[in-house]
Amino acid sequence: MRANPWILLGRLWLGLAYAFMFLPLVVLVLFSFQKNRFPGFPLQGWTLQWYDKLFTDGTLIKALGNTLIVSPAAASVATVIAFLAAYAFNRFTFRGKTTFLAMVTLPILIPPLILGVGFLGLLARLHLSGTLFAVFLTHVVLIVAPALAIIQLRLSQMPASLEEAAWDLGATQWQAVTRIVLPFALPGILGAWLLAFTFSFDEFIIAWFVSGFQPTLPVAIYSVLVAAIDPSLNAIGTIVFAISCLVLVGLELVLLPLLIGKSESRS
Amino acid sequence: MTTVPGAPSSKYMKTPNDSPLKVWFLAPLAIWLTVLFLLPLVFLLWIGFWRVENFQAVPDLSLGNYQEIFASFFSRSRYGLALVQSLWVAATTAVFAVVFSYVVALAIAFAVPARWQRLALLVAIAPFWSSYVLRLYSWQTILSRNGVINSILKQVGLSEYRIDIIYTQVATRIGLIHYLAPILIVILYVSILAIDRVLIEAARELGATRWQAFTRVILPLSRFGLMTAASFAVIVSLGDALSGNLLGGGAGASIIGKLPTYAGMIMSDYSSSTNLPRTSALATILIAVMVLTLAVGFVLADKARRRIG
Repeated sequence: MRANPWILLGRLWLGLAYAFMFLPLVVLVLFSFQKNRFPGFPLQGWTLQWYDKLFTDGTLIKALGNTLIVSPAAASVATVIAFLAAYAFNRFTFRGKTTFLAMVTLPILIPPLILGVGFLGLLARLHLSGTLFAVFLTHVVLIVAPALAIIQLRLSQMPASLEEAAWDLGATQWQAVTRIVLPFALPGILGAWLLAFTFSFDEFIIAWFVSGFQPTLPVAIYSVLVAAIDPSLNAIGTIVFAISCLVLVGLELVLLPLLIGKSESRS
Repeated sequence: MTTVPGAPSSKYMKTPNDSPLKVWFLAPLAIWLTVLFLLPLVFLLWIGFWRVENFQAVPDLSLGNYQEIFASFFSRSRYGLALVQSLWVAATTAVFAVVFSYVVALAIAFAVPARWQRLALLVAIAPFWSSYVLRLYSWQTILSRNGVINSILKQVGLSEYRIDIIYTQVATRIGLIHYLAPILIVILYVSILAIDRVLIEAARELGATRWQAFTRVILPLSRFGLMTAASFAVIVSLGDALSGNLLGGGAGASIIGKLPTYAGMIMSDYSSSTNLPRTSALATILIAVMVLTLAVGFVLADKARRRIG
């Protein structure tokens, strides 16, 4: 490809797009360390007061604690369910497989607002709504699909002969699963967990409907936000952003080799 | 499954398909989805027909909620107007978001050297990993009357150019596009990647200009990706209440008028009345509208394709 005006234009657009996409994040982090009561220019100097306010006030930190209980729990349960199902999808043939897979994907396609109303209707009847447990139950439904997709991707890279060899050598089916399939699927399982965690960590509208007096972090942030502009939000935002960055780095290390397909199988 | 001791285990050479594991391994997912996904959806449709007595939802099979909603559809409660606002915002957002993301995906695929493409894509997806609520808050501080942009304009003496879009549907769209872009870029980049480069080269060899190669080869071949991206954008925009509430200010102005989006209205309707039967009926109407919108979209796209093809 010789240099041509289109390439230049393309790169220019890409630069502008990146600027648009990162602007809110940069602003969020910048003003979490600024004295300005209302984010804007001129800057009024560096400070840690908003972090201080965040921790002395404590409501958002408590909500972060709630989220850090619910999201790992939901991600773990969803990943276990997803692994079992992925193994079955990968190895067995049965009627209604496509329908089943479609049903797993559906919760992602239906807007969470609608799901939230439905979950509330059911859980209110069971007297479970308004608790963290309700958020946990409903989040699993939502995040099991991405987890399943990733573990299936990994298992599809596993040569069937591996498992068959184990059976031939006298392993029971269960042993073959725990000793052969599980270790092989581990990167996929890790990636699935991280992705599931991310989806749950950020989920707002379902949590808003079912969490009640035990808000998760996004719900708590929303209630602060509707009331007033408070730079503490920049501080919690920066902390959340740091957590998300860790997850993203983890995903990058675990997941991309899977997607790009540096698999040791297929030989 | 009985195995005779000493017999060759040749029956294990093929994957046994009648293992008890099949049932045991699929059961957790099946049970969870049935109880916590299908059941709530059935409940949602059913509760729409319940009635409320003394602030308690009572099982019933009445059309009361729907009558109440449609009786004041374009007047007092303006549910219908909110629906029109939602469709308008969703359609325009989808167009802008898809065009924006498609050009980004094209730039990554054709203007970035191959070994940097993965990184370029990763950078484009990164914002997706930050909290949506917090991104909207950040946009609030950027766009507000004395916010980041306007204070910069004031600093450099351009205060007469101040932007005044916070609490309008324009701001709602910015928030939605910011949320959608990373996902759409992935969808569109993958669909561009699937195009056989040989076809593009052949077009160029046969004397097509770069622009012609794009309009005659690349664009038609990314049609499926564009359709997927647009449908996704419409569904998300119709179902999103956050951007409309936080950036649109609940009842953001647009060409249609100062009206909330339908999703925002469902949220505020529930938090003000906690009338779950009516909220369920409103949500059911939203499901119907979405299915209709997508169906109409596909029919129109199909007609357009036949005209071209």
